Amino acid sequence: MSTLSEAVGPAEPNDTPPRGLWRQGLTVFCENRLALVGLGLFVLLAGVCFLGPLVYQTDQVHTDLTAVYRAPGEQGHLLGTDGVGYDQLGRLMLGGQTSIIVGLAAGVLATIVGTLLGAIAGFFGGWVDAAVMRVVDAMMSIPSLFLFMLLAAIVTPSAPMLILIIGAFAWLGPARLVRGEALTLRSREYVQAMRGMGGTGGRAVRRHIIPNAIGTVIVNATFQVADAILYVAYLSFLGLGIPPPAANWGGMLSDGLADTYSGHWWLLYPPGIAIILIVLAFNFIGDGLRDAFEVRLRRR
Amino acid sequence: MSESIGLTARHSAPAVHAAAGRPLLELRDLDTDIALRRGTVHALDGISLDVAPGQTLGVVGESGSGKTMTALSIMGLLPSGGRVTGGQILFEGRDLRSLPADEVRRIRGVRMGMVFQDPLTSLNPTIRIGAQVAEPLRVHKRVGRAEARDRAIQILRRVGMPRPERIVDNYPHELSGGMRQRVAIAMALVCSPSLLIADEPTTALDVTTQRQILELIDDLREEFGMAVILVTHDLGVIAGRADRVAVMYAGRVVETAATEQLFHAPRHRYTEALMRALPESAIRDSGGHDRLISIPGLPPDLSGPLTGCRFAARCSYVSDECRTTDPSLIPGTHQHACLHPVPTPAGAVTGPAGAVTGPARARVEPAAEPTRVEPAAKPVTAAPAEVTELPVLSVRNLVKDYPVHGRGLLRRAAGQVSAVADVSFEVRAGETFGLVGESGCGKSTVGRLSVGLERPSAGQIVLDGTDLTDLTGRERRRMHRQVQLMFQDSYAAMNPRMRVDAILAEPLEIQKVGDSSARQARIATLLDQVGLSRRALERYPHEFSGGQLQRIGLARSLALHPRLIVGDEPVSALDVSIQAQVLNLMRDLQRELGLAYIFISHDLSVVDYMADRIGVMYLGKLVEIGPAREVVRAARHPYTQALVDAVPSITPDRVATRDGTTIRGELPSALDPPSGCRFRTRCPRAADICTTEPPLVGGLHQVACHLPLRPEPTGTPTQDQAVG
Amino acid sequence: MARYLIARLGQALIVIVLVTVIAFLILHLLPGGAARATLGKEATLAQLAAFNHEMGYDRPLIQQYGMYVQRLLQGDLGYSYQLNQSVLEAIEQRLPKTMVLSLLSTLLAVVLAIPLGVLQAIRRNRWPDYAITALSLLAYATPIFFLGLMMIIVFSQVWPILPPEAPQGFTVAELLADPAGLVLPTATLAIVTIAVYARYVRSSMIDNLNENYVRTARSKGLSERRVVLRHTLRNGLFPVITLLGMYLPALFSGALVVESLFNFPGMGQLFWQAALKRDFPILLGVTVIISIATVVGALVADLLYAAVDPRVRLRGSAT
Repeated sequence: MSTLSEAVGPAEPNDTPPRGLWRQGLTVFCENRLALVGLGLFVLLAGVCFLGPLVYQTDQVHTDLTAVYRAPGEQGHLLGTDGVGYDQLGRLMLGGQTSIIVGLAAGVLATIVGTLLGAIAGFFGGWVDAAVMRVVDAMMSIPSLFLFMLLAAIVTPSAPMLILIIGAFAWLGPARLVRGEALTLRSREYVQAMRGMGGTGGRAVRRHIIPNAIGTVIVNATFQVADAILYVAYLSFLGLGIPPPAANWGGMLSDGLADTYSGHWWLLYPPGIAIILIVLAFNFIGDGLRDAFEVRLRRR
Repeated sequence: MSESIGLTARHSAPAVHAAAGRPLLELRDLDTDIALRRGTVHALDGISLDVAPGQTLGVVGESGSGKTMTALSIMGLLPSGGRVTGGQILFEGRDLRSLPADEVRRIRGVRMGMVFQDPLTSLNPTIRIGAQVAEPLRVHKRVGRAEARDRAIQILRRVGMPRPERIVDNYPHELSGGMRQRVAIAMALVCSPSLLIADEPTTALDVTTQRQILELIDDLREEFGMAVILVTHDLGVIAGRADRVAVMYAGRVVETAATEQLFHAPRHRYTEALMRALPESAIRDSGGHDRLISIPGLPPDLSGPLTGCRFAARCSYVSDECRTTDPSLIPGTHQHACLHPVPTPAGAVTGPAGAVTGPARARVEPAAEPTRVEPAAKPVTAAPAEVTELPVLSVRNLVKDYPVHGRGLLRRAAGQVSAVADVSFEVRAGETFGLVGESGCGKSTVGRLSVGLERPSAGQIVLDGTDLTDLTGRERRRMHRQVQLMFQDSYAAMNPRMRVDAILAEPLEIQKVGDSSARQARIATLLDQVGLSRRALERYPHEFSGGQLQRIGLARSLALHPRLIVGDEPVSALDVSIQAQVLNLMRDLQRELGLAYIFISHDLSVVDYMADRIGVMYLGKLVEIGPAREVVRAARHPYTQALVDAVPSITPDRVATRDGTTIRGELPSALDPPSGCRFRTRCPRAADICTTEPPLVGGLHQVACHLPLRPEPTGTPTQDQAVG
Repeated sequence: MARYLIARLGQALIVIVLVTVIAFLILHLLPGGAARATLGKEATLAQLAAFNHEMGYDRPLIQQYGMYVQRLLQGDLGYSYQLNQSVLEAIEQRLPKTMVLSLLSTLLAVVLAIPLGVLQAIRRNRWPDYAITALSLLAYATPIFFLGLMMIIVFSQVWPILPPEAPQGFTVAELLADPAGLVLPTATLAIVTIAVYARYVRSSMIDNLNENYVRTARSKGLSERRVVLRHTLRNGLFPVITLLGMYLPALFSGALVVESLFNFPGMGQLFWQAALKRDFPILLGVTVIISIATVVGALVADLLYAAVDPRVRLRGSAT
C-alpha cells in the first residue's frame, strides 16, 4: 500500500453526484492552464486563417510587380508585401490554411494507419506481430526526413500528395504505441474477467481494448499533427514543398530566409512565429489531453 | 519465543515500566499534514506515544489510520507534500524538530534504523548488497572500504544470510523476498541503532517467512538492546511480539496498553470491534458458525474538519455525546479515548498480565485446544440432501506446466515450470472448498484452470458432469454460466471506463440472457443482494472503496446464477473490518443461493473460517486435504503444521504454545522441483523414504506424506465424503 | 548475456535487410523511374528502354534486387552519373562532415542535458523546472533552419563573433582545425537534441526519485546530495544510453537540415542535392548507409546498456 493512500483513506463516494468520465476529463483539462492556452492559440490561429480572409480581402492569385517589398502599413498592406507583390498578411492566412489542413490531415492519416497496423500486430501476436514490427523497425531506422525526401523526389509535391507522403510514413510511432497498448490491455484482469464470462476476442477488442487505448491514440495524434506541420516546413525549406502560387507557412519561412540580409523582416518572422505558435499549441493540447485521460483512471 | 514472553511480563508490569526511566522516544501531540491536489489531509492529529529503551511498541491500525505516517514522521521521511505541523519528537531527550538538519540526519543514520514493507523495491537494484549494507558505516563512521565489507559480512551472517561472503557481491534482484528483507534488516542494524522502526516488515512475505523474520527481529532486539516500533495492520503479529500496543484510528491513537492487557481486555469500542472482526475470533467463540462481527461503513475523510469521536459513525455504542465531544486519552497505563468503554471486570484494570481476565461482554473464553482432534459438529450450511449428489466440480489428476522460452531466435522451450502437478479434488453443491498455500504453490493456477481461463496440460476438469477439455466453442460459452471467478483486486478486474451498470450487464450480454429490461431487473436484484444502493449504477469503479468494489465484483459473478464461484484471494487486499463485511456477505449468499465456493487464500485463518474442507498446496502438489477443522487443528502433513504454527494469532494460548516446527530455507524453484516429496528439502522430518513420491492417501482426511504427524482419526463422524 | 547478444544481432540484421528492400522498392516501384530522371525529359522511349536494359531495370524486380544485394555485399553501392563518381566515393568524401557534426552535437547535448534534466527533477514543479520545460518546448517547436538562422543573425550579424558558414575542409582534422566555424552548426543541432534529452532525463530521474529504495537511502541518514548522486543518478541515467541510440534517426534528419543551412556538404547535403536532381543511386546508397548507421548505433546503445545495468545484465543471463 502506498503511503499516500494510507494517509488519505477511502472516501465515501455516494455523497457527490455522479459525473461522467468525459466531464471529469474536461475538468482536468481545463485545470491545466497551458492546455487551455494551447486550445486558445489553436482556435485563434485557425480563426484568423479561415475567417480572416472574409474581412481582410487580398489578391493571392495574381502577382503585382508594382508593389513588391512594401513595408508593413504601406498602402493598406498591414504586414507589407513580398517579392512578387502578394500581401503578406493575406498570404499568411492562406498559408496557414494549408499548413493546418495538411498537418491535421497527415496527423490523422498517420494515426489511423498506425492504429490499425499496431492493433493488428498487438491482437494477433505471433508471426503477424513479428512481421509488422520488423517492418516498423526497418522504416524507423530510415530517418523520417530522408524517407519523405525520397518520396518527394519521385512524385510532384502538392498539398494532397504531402498529406499522403507524411501520413503514409509517420504511422510508425502510433503503430508501435498502439501495439504496446494492445499487448498490455490484452492481459488486464478485466479482459480476463470478461473471458471468464465466456466473452470472445472480438468483444474484448470492442468493449475493452479500444475504449482504453483511445486516449493514448488521441494524445499521440495531437503530437503527430505538430510534427506533420514541421515536416511540411522542412520539405519546403529543402525545395520539395508545395510550389507557388499555393502557400504554406513553411514555404513562406523558407522564402523569407533569402530576405534575411535585405531588411525585409516582415517576410521572415511572421511565418516563423506562426509555425512555432501552432506547433506549441498542439503540444500544449496534447499534454493537457494526456493529463485528462490519465486522471480518469486515477483511483481515488 | 520464551524470551519474548519473559520480556513481556517484565515490561508490562506497571511498576517496572515506570522505573524504566526516561523513554527513548517520546512523541508529544504530533500533527502531520499531507498537502494533496484537492486539499490537505490531516494524517496525524495529536499523536502522543513513548517507547522505552529495549521495548517493543506495536502500532496497529487499518489503512488510513496514520500508523505508517507516524513512522515516517519520526524518521523525517514523509512523502512530498507531507509535513509535521506541530508537536515534538523527543529522541533521547532532544526534539528532532528543533535540531539542525545535519544533526537529525546523523541521528537517523546511526541511532535509528528503519525496515520497510516491500523488500523487492526497497533496495537499490544497481548497487551491490555489501555496499548498500555498509553505506551507513562508510558515511557516518568513516569506516574504510575493506573494514566496511567485513562488517557487512558480519551483520549479514548475523541476520541469517547463508554464505554472506558471497552475497555481499550480489545484486538485490538475485535474492528472494525473505532474503532481501534480511538484507534490509542488516542495513538498518549495521550501526547498532537504539531504535528500529519496522513498517509492515512482513506484510509482503509468506507466513512461514514472516515468522522467520519476526523471530529474527525479536532475537536482534534482545542482542542489540534496542527498542523496536513494529507497525502493522495485523493484530496477530503484534500480539506475539510487542510489549505495548498503540491502536490507531483515523489519525489518532485511540487506545494504548500493555499487550496482554489490551488483548485480554480492550477498552475502546474500536479495538474491541476490530478484534472481534477477525475470523479467528468467530472460530474461537462459536466454532465458526456465526457471522463475523463486522464494522459497518468506512473510516472518515481526514481532509475535512471532524467533530466528536472519529469512530462514532461506525460504532454500535454511539450516543449523542460521542458525536459532539472529542474524547481524549485518559492517562494511566491503559489509556483509551472512549466515552463508553468496554467495562472491565473488577481487579482486571491494573493487575499483572496473568491476572487479567476476559472482558465481561460477549467473550466466550475459548477452550483453546490447539490439538483438538474431534471436529466441532459443524452444521452443514447447505441442504444436507445435496451432499449425495454429483459434485459440482471434480478435478482429476490436474497438471499444468508452463514452458519457459529461451531468448534465442528460435525461442526453443528451455524447460518448464511445473505449476500444478497431479491435483485431484471435488467440490459439492453448497460447499466451500478452501485452497491454501504460499505464493508460487499453484493455488491460483488451479483456480484459473477451474473456471476455464486456462487449459490444463493434462487431467480432467469435470463441471456438472461434463468434461471441460472436450467442449465445443458454444458449449464452452455456456459452461461459463456455471462457474465464475472472483478476483483479489476488483478494481483491476473492472474496466475503468465502464460504469457499474455496464459492468454488471456484461455477463448477461455475453451470454445473451434476457432483453434489456430483464437485464435491468436482474442488475437491480444483484445490487440488493450485495447490499449496494441503486445509485451505484451510474458510477465508475474508481469512485468506490475496496470493500464496495468487492461487492460489485461479487454481484457480477452472481449475475449468471452460477453454481460455483472461485474466489482468488477475494479479501486479501481488504482491511479487517471490511474483510468481515465481505466474508459475511459471501456466506449469506451461499446460504440463500446454494452456491459452492472454491476459496483460495494464503491466509489460513480466513480459510479456516470460511471453508468446509481445506486443501493445502505446496509447490504444485496437494499435500493434504480434509475437513477444515481437522486440517487446521490436527494437521497430518508437516508443511500444514508449519503453516498453522506460523499464522499470527491474537489468542493468547495460541501465542504461547507455538512449537518449534518452523520450516527453514527457501522455496525450491518450480522449474526443477525436488524429486519424491517436494517438501522434503525443507521438512524437519525428512527421511530416506521421502525421495519417493508419497501418494495422497486416507479416507476423509488425506495426506501425501510417508511420515504423517498423526494417523487419520478413527471414528470421525462420517459424512458421505469419500474423496477422489 | 551471450544469448541476448546473438538475438539482438540477428534482429539488427533482419532490420538492415528490410531497409534495403524498402529503399529499393520505393525507388523502383514509383512512377518517374531512374531512366527518366537520368536521361531527362527529352529522352525518347527507345532511349529509355535502352537505358533500362543496360541497367538491368527491365528484369524482374526480384532479380534486380538480387543483383543489387550481390553488389552491395562486395561494397559496390552503384555509380552516380550526375556526380560522375561512385556512390561509395561520394559518401566517403562527405562522411567526415556528418560524423563531426553529429558526434559533437550529441556530446554537447549529453553534457548539457544531464545536469539540466537532473536539476529539473530535483526542483520539480518549481521555477527552474518550469523555465527549462518552457525553453525545451520552444526549441522543439521551432523549425531547425529558423533556429539556425536566428543563431546566425544573433552571433554573426548583431554580435559578430562567429562565422555564419561551416568549415569547408575535407578530413576530420581539417574540420576540427576551425572550431569557430563549427560552433553555430553544432549548437543549432544540439539545441533541439538537448530539449529532447533533458526531458527524458527529467522523467527518468523523477521515476527513480519516487522509488522506494530512495526512501531507504534517506532512512540511512544520507545527505540529499549523496541520495541523488549515488543512488538516483546512475539508475536514472542508464536508460539514457538507449535513448542515444533511439534518437539517431532524428539526429540525422536534423543534421540534413543543418548541413543545408550552413552550407556544410555532408551526407545530408549529398542526399538533398540528389533528391533535387533525382540521382537515384546516391539516394539509395545514402539511405542504406544512414540506416545501417542507425541500426548499428541503436544496437551498440542497447548492448552498452545491457552491459552496464546489472538489472538487464543479469536478467539476460538467467534461465
